[in-house]
Amino acid sequence: MSGKVAVCAVAQIKNEPDIWYQRFQGMLLDCFESIISQTGVTFDMETGIRNIITCSDDVFDARTISDNGMTDAVGAHFRGEEKIAQDGINGLGYAMACILSGHDDVVLLMGHCKESQSESRNMCTNLSFDPFFCRPLGMDFTNASAFQARAYMNKSGVTDDHLAKIVARSRQMGAKNPFARKNNPISEQDVLNSPMLADPIRQLHQYPVTDWAVGMLICCEARAHEFTDTPVFLTGFGNCMDSYFLGDRELTSNFALKKAAQRAFRMAGISDPKKDFDIAELNDAIAYQLPMWAEGLGLADEGQGGKWVDSGALDAQHVNLSGGMLNGNPVMLGGLARATEAILQLQGKAGDRQVEGAKKAVAHGTTGPAGQHHSVLILENQGV
Amino acid sequence: MSTAISDSFVVQGKLALPYQYFAGRTGSRFIISLRDEKKIRGLKCDKCGKIFVPPRASCETCIVDISENWVDVKNTGVVTGFTIIRYKEPHQLMEPPYILGLIKLDGADTPLAHIVKGVALSKMETGLKVKAVFAKKTTGSIMDIDHFQVLDDKPKFEMGYSYDELEIGMSASFTKTISETDVYLFAGISGDFNPMHMNEEFAKMTPFGTRIAHGALPQSLIAPVLGMKLPGLGTVIPEITVRFKRPTYFGDTITAMGEVVEKLEKKRWVRMELRWTNQKDELVAEGSCLAIPPMPFNK
Repeated sequence: MSGKVAVCAVAQIKNEPDIWYQRFQGMLLDCFESIISQTGVTFDMETGIRNIITCSDDVFDARTISDNGMTDAVGAHFRGEEKIAQDGINGLGYAMACILSGHDDVVLLMGHCKESQSESRNMCTNLSFDPFFCRPLGMDFTNASAFQARAYMNKSGVTDDHLAKIVARSRQMGAKNPFARKNNPISEQDVLNSPMLADPIRQLHQYPVTDWAVGMLICCEARAHEFTDTPVFLTGFGNCMDSYFLGDRELTSNFALKKAAQRAFRMAGISDPKKDFDIAELNDAIAYQLPMWAEGLGLADEGQGGKWVDSGALDAQHVNLSGGMLNGNPVMLGGLARATEAILQLQGKAGDRQVEGAKKAVAHGTTGPAGQHHSVLILENQGV
Repeated sequence: MSTAISDSFVVQGKLALPYQYFAGRTGSRFIISLRDEKKIRGLKCDKCGKIFVPPRASCETCIVDISENWVDVKNTGVVTGFTIIRYKEPHQLMEPPYILGLIKLDGADTPLAHIVKGVALSKMETGLKVKAVFAKKTTGSIMDIDHFQVLDDKPKFEMGYSYDELEIGMSASFTKTISETDVYLFAGISGDFNPMHMNEEFAKMTPFGTRIAHGALPQSLIAPVLGMKLPGLGTVIPEITVRFKRPTYFGDTITAMGEVVEKLEKKRWVRMELRWTNQKDELVAEGSCLAIPPMPFNK
């Protein structure tokens, strides 16, 4: 068994506000067929895909055991199938475990989310809270994040102006990414003028409702050459779940993210996150999260998020050149979208936003209210 | 819609399914205390001392069973975080805008999310003290607490100017017409039934030719100035001197005025000049006093 795990191919559809004209099964099928044609992988039980990891959410799909809705479309019948009901980046962590354990050598990962299907995204996230203490209060991911945003902005000197800068930059970056959601270009002033949703979060601080699907083929190093000339290696992964109740957490501490990063960095031998990465993709569902997660990952100094934004580090450290989640990726796939961009960059297939000679990337994902669960993935395009 | 998609159909669906959730033994006791006793209770970890509200059967840090360590926490607490909800969606309790806060109850260690009322949205801030207001009707949930009301921390009385707030040149006055009734009442208060104040026939024989008010009556009009205006409530007057210049006749309108003329840094007292004038702007009396201004926050 080799010590390395390779991503051989990635296939995605364009992020869109409302793919009403296609079922999520069809969205996945487009990705699936692309993976097959890119790699020539088969479903032979000896040499092909014997295990499939899917990522979906019951409430967003409005059906429980949501993977049952599309196992046929992603080739998951008559073989192993597991569903990730967390950010899909954890599917890559899971694929690593499958391959590093020797249990599998080729794994297909397929994720989808169609946020546009439900009348209200906040009503869906309201259902992630317990029915006794939090759900009756109307808590959802927007207002839970608002508690964190206020506390974090006070701690780290992040202002409304910083957030406007982050959102406007995200839109500029997204415009260069052919797979990114097509949004109206906006100025910093437009962001500052946008109405408050839940103070201090403004409407334009939050990622727009988006539909998307993605697929990836992952295999052991020894077989990567069968499927690709540009393998990208997954060299580190860690995740951590924080307490459920917001009041139990120190909301600005980045506790879970730091733990997740420590584990991933140790596995990949990262010693200086500020210098070691050519690409950093952070799961910024809401603008304040970009500097906050940067602090948690060690890309920015603790408590210096505002200064980090001012310093031009977003461009210098190649942070969210994809446009980030802020430009529009659905929940459940924010982190997997970050990994997707990192893979394209390390394959040299990132088009206009390609960072020449990029060798090492960090991709981050988060699940749950106000960053309850964090995942950190390290990717490299050269042998270690 | 273009004709190319005229054969596409979007199905209208809805997820609506009533549920019954058992609140668990720990949750049940919490909710029953709220419902029957209007008491908020938490569970305490004996090992680390942390008190959890809402209660948890075990401490996640110490990994120990704490399910029997019930403690009462207070109905009051402090807001540790908040947001103002301005969007409107069906899962919400009330019409926006409203405040959702994290409230650390006195005696608990884990802030609890709940609605905060009783403060202007623009005045909302962390650190405000709040008190639970229980719902009129029980729903068997956290909503047996209807909301948390911001406690009015304003003093009951608006205290006067402190020494540091007083400046030389500040002045205040009080004006009143002195009636025959005032003079008779003052005679009763003081026991001074001198006929020069009471008996018009006697008064005709005095240099004033008619009844006049007691000298202390207009003088007393400085009391509302010093005690209620400048420096104001909380002031003590250890010394007052007056020279009477002109009589006060029945029906005269007297203005008593005080002005800060000196700040006595060592004692933190002030000296004030006092003047009494009538409706013709004639000087009735003049004098001075020492004033001990109210101590700050001496409520």
